[in-house]
Amino acid sequence: MFRHNSLRYAVLALLAAGALFQALTAEYFGLEILTEILILAILVLALDIVAGFGGMVSLCHGALMGVGAYTYAILSTKAGIAPPVALAASIALTGAAAWVIGAICSRSHGIYFIMATLAFGQMAYSYVFEAPIFGGDDGLGGISRLDLSFIGVDLNDSRSFALFCLAILGAVYGASVLILRSGLGRSLSGVMHNEQRMRALGLTVWRVKADVFGLSGMIAGLAGALAAQHILYISPGLLSWTVSGEALVVVILGGLGTLVGPLVGAAAFVVLKHELSAVTTYWHLVVGVILIAVVMSRANGIFGWIEARWGARIERRLADTTRKAEAKEVLTDA
Amino acid sequence: MLETRNLDKSFGAVHVTRNVSLKLERGERRVILGPNGAGKTTLFNQLVGELTPDSGSVHLAGEDVTALPVAKRARRGLSRSYQKNTLFDGLTVEENLGLAAAVHTGNATQLWSDSLAKPEVREIVDEVANQVNLMPYIHAKVSEISYGVRRQLEVGVALATKPLVLLMDEPTSGVGPEMSKGFHDLLNNLPRDLTMLIIEHDMDLAFDVADTTTVLNYGEVVFDGLPEEARGSKLLKEIYLGSWEDA
Repeated sequence: MFRHNSLRYAVLALLAAGALFQALTAEYFGLEILTEILILAILVLALDIVAGFGGMVSLCHGALMGVGAYTYAILSTKAGIAPPVALAASIALTGAAAWVIGAICSRSHGIYFIMATLAFGQMAYSYVFEAPIFGGDDGLGGISRLDLSFIGVDLNDSRSFALFCLAILGAVYGASVLILRSGLGRSLSGVMHNEQRMRALGLTVWRVKADVFGLSGMIAGLAGALAAQHILYISPGLLSWTVSGEALVVVILGGLGTLVGPLVGAAAFVVLKHELSAVTTYWHLVVGVILIAVVMSRANGIFGWIEARWGARIERRLADTTRKAEAKEVLTDA
Repeated sequence: MLETRNLDKSFGAVHVTRNVSLKLERGERRVILGPNGAGKTTLFNQLVGELTPDSGSVHLAGEDVTALPVAKRARRGLSRSYQKNTLFDGLTVEENLGLAAAVHTGNATQLWSDSLAKPEVREIVDEVANQVNLMPYIHAKVSEISYGVRRQLEVGVALATKPLVLLMDEPTSGVGPEMSKGFHDLLNNLPRDLTMLIIEHDMDLAFDVADTTTVLNYGEVVFDGLPEEARGSKLLKEIYLGSWEDA
């Protein structure tokens, strides 16, 4: 069951303040990096819901993101459907596809689940790569962003688009918390802790997993539609298993099953990628070494390490402060 | 309420359940006795659907449930506790009970509300926590409570599905004599209309709680009768109760 604590609120506030500051003050390149972080953060939140809170380690979330991106691109450019409708359709279609994948894969566990999701992801990648309607290896261009001019916002402006993505990320985070605190989220937590017992209590386990996988797919689809609007061009590479693998790396790097951690991971990963790739083409090696160090430290990622080191201390200090304030109030009243 | 007809199960050459027929009336409390390896837990696993019998059938409230999977049988009112604690270790006592109550009340898949905040779920959680004496530990995590309290929670989680038939696999397994006595009271105070089938090694509990007794040996029913009759049975003393008179 997901719970916020003082440290999580503090880190969230810091991240939000940092992102807002960057969105308001950065130049073009800084805004592009920020938007990349925000879209990746949405994707890894989707992955954390299933992997961190349901034990479903998925290697098809990159493909789901691609399904969202292609659906939005094709509907808005080739079918002439209004972008808001195309956006809603891309979320719904990706959610439906994810539900089916979840319903099928939820019968398996561990490595078999991972392999089954990988197979689905690669099937989607191959289909998009081969089918002419998707533009093959050339991909699709000419994608337009949502038109929010009716509220005086021009999303073609990088700053406005970054702020828009930040607002969407905030909404997705809120929705993720609501999902995890709902009856469905509690059942998912029960399934992760003890699937056999949940079944013995009368729960249709596969249905819970499929429902949550579908919701997670909707979020991944949203991330894909935003990615298509960000770059204004998409290619089959978006559906590649390496995107799913990278998303998993980000979740683990940040802190699996914490929601806040993957946000930290997304920021750390994108910044590292850009900073290191400016210095060396072998930046993946450095990220790999960092990931190994994080995994070997058994600290559940960067945020897990922070939480283990500072979480209890901060909670104690807050409790002391509250006690002192209460004591002071009593003395004042006396 | 619960009936088995000629249940038979083998694992390769090992015949673990031989033609077992049982019939429990509504509100009946039956204790299953038998030495280790007699097939008691295997019988339970077939009753709840975790194992499929080779032949024979299981009937719940007059309905043949043999072909139904575990979850469907549970939703029809068949609930079990396990010999080894099978709890949700990272969650609190309240959340453990809440998960079971949410499934029973249809709140387990609700997306728009917290199942534990629902009045009907809270009512069951409070009721069961009182029934199995878990109120003092309600906000404690499973990892923070003692083994004996976990055994109580094990039964509590099964009870929170509001079953018609409660199957308990050695509820007092591993607890001391003091706590075992507490379990007698706990089981005796459960609603009288609840049908219970209990696997138990603790003879005192078996004879204190049971209305009827069934003894299994090598997967076969070798005795079926009242506890008083079981006490006097020479056969039972030979196969199982050798040390009971001394205890």
